[in-house]
Amino acid sequence: MAGAGREERAWVRGAQAGSASDLEALFRHHWPGAYRAAYLVVHDGAAAEDIAQEAFLSAVRALDSFDRRRPFGPWLHRIVVNRAIDWTRARALRREVGDEQLAVAPSRPETPPDDLSNEIMAALGSLSPDHRAVVVLRYVLDYSPGEIAELLELPRGTVNSRLRRGLDTMQERVMREQS
Amino acid sequence: MSERVRQALRQAPLPDEAGAADRAWALVERAFESRERIPWAGKRRGPLVALVAAGAIAVAALTPPGMAVVDRFRDAVGREPSQPALVKLPAPGRLLVLSPEGPWVVQEDGSKRLLGDYEDASWSPRGLFVIATRGHQLVALDSESGEPRWSLSRTEPVRDPGWSGGGLDTRIAYRAGDTLHIVAGDGSPDAVVADGVAPVAPAWKPDSHVLAYADAAGHVHVFDADTRRQLWRTRTVKGVRELAFSGNRLAVSTSTRVVVFRRGEPTPFLELPRGHVLLDTAIIGFGGVLYADYDPRNDSTTLFRSDCTIAGACRLMPDTRMFEGPGRISNLVTSPDRAWITAGWPAADQFLFFESAPRRLGKVDAVSNVTAEFSPGGEAGGVFPEIAGWAPPPS
Repeated sequence: MAGAGREERAWVRGAQAGSASDLEALFRHHWPGAYRAAYLVVHDGAAAEDIAQEAFLSAVRALDSFDRRRPFGPWLHRIVVNRAIDWTRARALRREVGDEQLAVAPSRPETPPDDLSNEIMAALGSLSPDHRAVVVLRYVLDYSPGEIAELLELPRGTVNSRLRRGLDTMQERVMREQS
Repeated sequence: MSERVRQALRQAPLPDEAGAADRAWALVERAFESRERIPWAGKRRGPLVALVAAGAIAVAALTPPGMAVVDRFRDAVGREPSQPALVKLPAPGRLLVLSPEGPWVVQEDGSKRLLGDYEDASWSPRGLFVIATRGHQLVALDSESGEPRWSLSRTEPVRDPGWSGGGLDTRIAYRAGDTLHIVAGDGSPDAVVADGVAPVAPAWKPDSHVLAYADAAGHVHVFDADTRRQLWRTRTVKGVRELAFSGNRLAVSTSTRVVVFRRGEPTPFLELPRGHVLLDTAIIGFGGVLYADYDPRNDSTTLFRSDCTIAGACRLMPDTRMFEGPGRISNLVTSPDRAWITAGWPAADQFLFFESAPRRLGKVDAVSNVTAEFSPGGEAGGVFPEIAGWAPPPS
């Protein structure tokens, strides 16, 4: 997994010693992945920002006690993805809005995505939060199924089946849209 | 398909990505700066403590004692850099620490002695002896020299020995298989007092011969060990893990909740959010409760001080978050005067020592490298030790 190297350990060590610049380096390195992962699970910009932000605030609170031998990324991503799943479930319970309405690309993209990308995003939005989470961990954050199983505390078989089923569902949806 | 998915998800535009990062960094940076300035608990607590004092009695009548609201809290503890070794205890007394090599007695000045190849162990009331188990054997040891004073053997493995208070006439309760035994402090006589007991350590009511134990069906029994008369029994509590007395009340903990019983009448005291695990509880000064709330999803533990006491008085504020860290933090043990609480933190390889003031937790001292310290030869990859008890200084 990216970011688990010597440089990251140095940033953690520096931040523990009180260096704001090292903390910022750690933040800038991990923010894009954390925000993207949260957004792709919740499909809500404001919620994704809150979730990723909260995860970093948790990291600051736990900084003194963080074991530098452990990679920072998985610890952060575990918090982000689990909170994102919780948020999505809670939203579904509140019935504020349907997923279908949120499964579109956000406003004002810098470069217009092609149709297929839009359809893939929409297909991702059609999955359950649990399926979305494993797809995002696998294809955005590059975790192996074994690592995802550890992060989400799931049996590896469950992760594999969610990945397979998630991709199948997305593919069916994309093909339906294209036909 | 999977490559196309990867590409699409990684390139999908996000709402105001740069702005979100800047806003988040501003908040994180502020939190980081305030963290640096966080003083030891106390500075920000004056008005709150006053409110506690003023409101405690009145609120006790208004607030049902129970049901912690753990999503509302306030930070209350700062911390100092950890000590690299256990060079002294922060308070008078001696610690009993269990390692794979056996129990260690740690003196106030940090010196320690391995008592021998034993498994479970606990202090006698005044810390003159340690009662320990080795397979099918129960052994009473001199806590200074480690010399065995007496021993007895059972056909079943012996576990969870606990020594009662009650002056010089003491008792020891222990489990042998699924039977509960009580033996006098001098090693005789020994008697089976219950069958079908659950694998849960029995608990003595302080300074008495009253004992609580859980049976396999989930009932908790409280009885007088001298007359063998049952005083009361609880209704079924599923998954009992720990029993602890505070005065006349018995706190029964499971992996998610604590129920307080008084003469068999239950009062819900604490219920963790769904999915969280209650790792440990400790009764601190004035009947307050400290508990370790583990969130598996974040792999982190938060130590909370309950807003209610075992006696039922509740403060106006919600539960107070005292400490948070990655991994599991548990093994909460109070000092003899209840002025200090220890905790074991395997992920950090640390013992934590919290100062406990009447209505707050004060500073926390951390001691690092404890696994190596209790592994002769200092081998890497050892087993994190467990604090089994804190005894008064030798009299």
